[in-house]
Amino acid sequence: MRNYFARILSILLISFTFVSCHKEALDSIDPNAKNSVSIEFDNRVGDQKMVLGTTPYKNGSGETFSLTTFNYFVSNIALKKEDGTVVKFPNQYFLVRQADARTQTIQLTDVPAGNYGELSFMIGVDSLKSVGGAGDRTGVLDPTSYGEDGMYWSWNSGYLFMKMEGTSGSVPATANIDHKFWLHVGGYGGGWNGSAKTVNNLRTVTLPITNQATVRGNVAPVIHLFVDGLKLLDGPNKISLAATNSVHMPAAAIPLADNGKTMFQIDHVHNDKQ
Amino acid sequence: MKNSTGIQRLTWLLVSSGWLVSCQTTDPQAQPEVLFTQPANFPQPVYALDQNAPTKAGFVLGRALFYDGMLSRDGSISCAECHNQAYAFTHHQHEVSHGIDNQVGTRNSMPIQNLAWATNFFWDGGVHNLDLAPIAPIENPVEMDDKSSNVIAKLRKSSRYPPLFNAAFGSEEINGPRFLQALSQFMLTLVSGNSRYDKWVRKEPGGTLTDEEQAGLTVFRAKCSSCHAGELFTDNSFRNNGLFIQGSNDIGRAHVTELEEDTYRFKVPSLRNVEKTLPYMHDGRFYSLDAVLTHYTENVQKTQNLDPLLQQNGRLGIALTTHEQQQIIAFLKTLTDEAFLRDPRFVEP
Repeated sequence: MRNYFARILSILLISFTFVSCHKEALDSIDPNAKNSVSIEFDNRVGDQKMVLGTTPYKNGSGETFSLTTFNYFVSNIALKKEDGTVVKFPNQYFLVRQADARTQTIQLTDVPAGNYGELSFMIGVDSLKSVGGAGDRTGVLDPTSYGEDGMYWSWNSGYLFMKMEGTSGSVPATANIDHKFWLHVGGYGGGWNGSAKTVNNLRTVTLPITNQATVRGNVAPVIHLFVDGLKLLDGPNKISLAATNSVHMPAAAIPLADNGKTMFQIDHVHNDKQ
Repeated sequence: MKNSTGIQRLTWLLVSSGWLVSCQTTDPQAQPEVLFTQPANFPQPVYALDQNAPTKAGFVLGRALFYDGMLSRDGSISCAECHNQAYAFTHHQHEVSHGIDNQVGTRNSMPIQNLAWATNFFWDGGVHNLDLAPIAPIENPVEMDDKSSNVIAKLRKSSRYPPLFNAAFGSEEINGPRFLQALSQFMLTLVSGNSRYDKWVRKEPGGTLTDEEQAGLTVFRAKCSSCHAGELFTDNSFRNNGLFIQGSNDIGRAHVTELEEDTYRFKVPSLRNVEKTLPYMHDGRFYSLDAVLTHYTENVQKTQNLDPLLQQNGRLGIALTTHEQQQIIAFLKTLTDEAFLRDPRFVEP
């Protein structure tokens, strides 16, 4: 019986190897080929679609809440090939806003052909950019561009890396009569002349791409991430909105920054030929 | 090749002599093109001038913005409201600055001068780059109470600004980086380095100090220059200078760093034009230099994080006789830069 299984297993293994070798032979990587890689941030709350407005959600503390804002910065993206080489995408900053579907898919261009098995990125805006002049702060980094949806602390110069806002009956009326909550995460570790002095809430997320993103001249992969906003409350640190509902400074945001790192997972990759 | 070297040398000569002439000029109107000069006795600037060097058109735009109430929610408060040239661009005769709807904040507005040498901004150093400084008052609810994005939107709709942006940046596009860079260009040009003291240091005409003033300088160097260091008269650090805890109980630098050790620490301000920047301290509690010197001599309090320099040899504060205090004040008044305070280039256009 055992022998029988072993034989099947070895046949399967051999045929797998054969198939993959065969595929490899057909699908050689042109070292000069480039294409784009898209990353789709699919925001959810637990196993529900994330919808801003009155949709009720419940956290691990048993508190019902709804969301009005859910934003985060993504930067310093890197893709790692199966041979270990890393392709970096410096000086590209993205602001994903749940209120704007156009911001939820970001595109990296001129990605060299290869098989990529790992994606990493920073949640937030690195310290170098955070102390730079206005000339460097274009696009989503323009601190004058956020309107009411402020992603910048003007008095403690720096970006909000993540923010979740909404309402919850669990927020006591003594905190604010409208039962609102504001969870703002920022703080790039600035200080005197750039020395690391203040709280650093920058976090880097590293995710395996199990079925690989195979960039070819005619294949522009789409990496589809599920982003579970509930993990911001129910990550390694349990956040109760009754107790924590107004976070506006870096030190208080440390547990949220640690939770935020756990929100992201790669669900699947589309490696469709174009 | 020889020829081009000759041309280069000639160009260099022309440029350097032009610079010398501009440095020596006493009539600011005669050389309006010289926008940023580094006084010979100053250190190298900190601001990345190569990334946003002031140009004439950028300066004109920045000046227009600086004096425009459009930067506030209801059009009533311009930058100049709290930064008046005659008082080294501070808010005169108010302990703390008055903003929109006549609201008051908790701090006294700081002078706008020599900002190219500043490593951080505001009493708590919460902003690290001059370009980003204007967003703080624009968005502060008790100062100008607008959204910077809304200010940009208002500028776009105006008839005045598109041509000014075009002149400064080559197209009529009005955006955040240009808006901020223009304000920086104006502020960068606000260099005060022509006080009687400066002329004395540089051995220039008019550079005379009386015996009393020179005695004051000697005492100052011995007793004050650890903090008010160098030609900028600040070491850019944050210190607790032993004020009574009163009023708003402002925790200063700790508000930004969230560090216990920064509680009650505030920026060491420059003393340039200090004669004109009253009232003094972050909350404007002292109305005269006499009161300031009296504080350091007699009233330093041992509060949390009191600076070690103010608790030496078993005493709090700085040992100064009444005569020495008066000598220091006489010296401090030599830091008044009348040419800067009256420079017609900086006046509301």
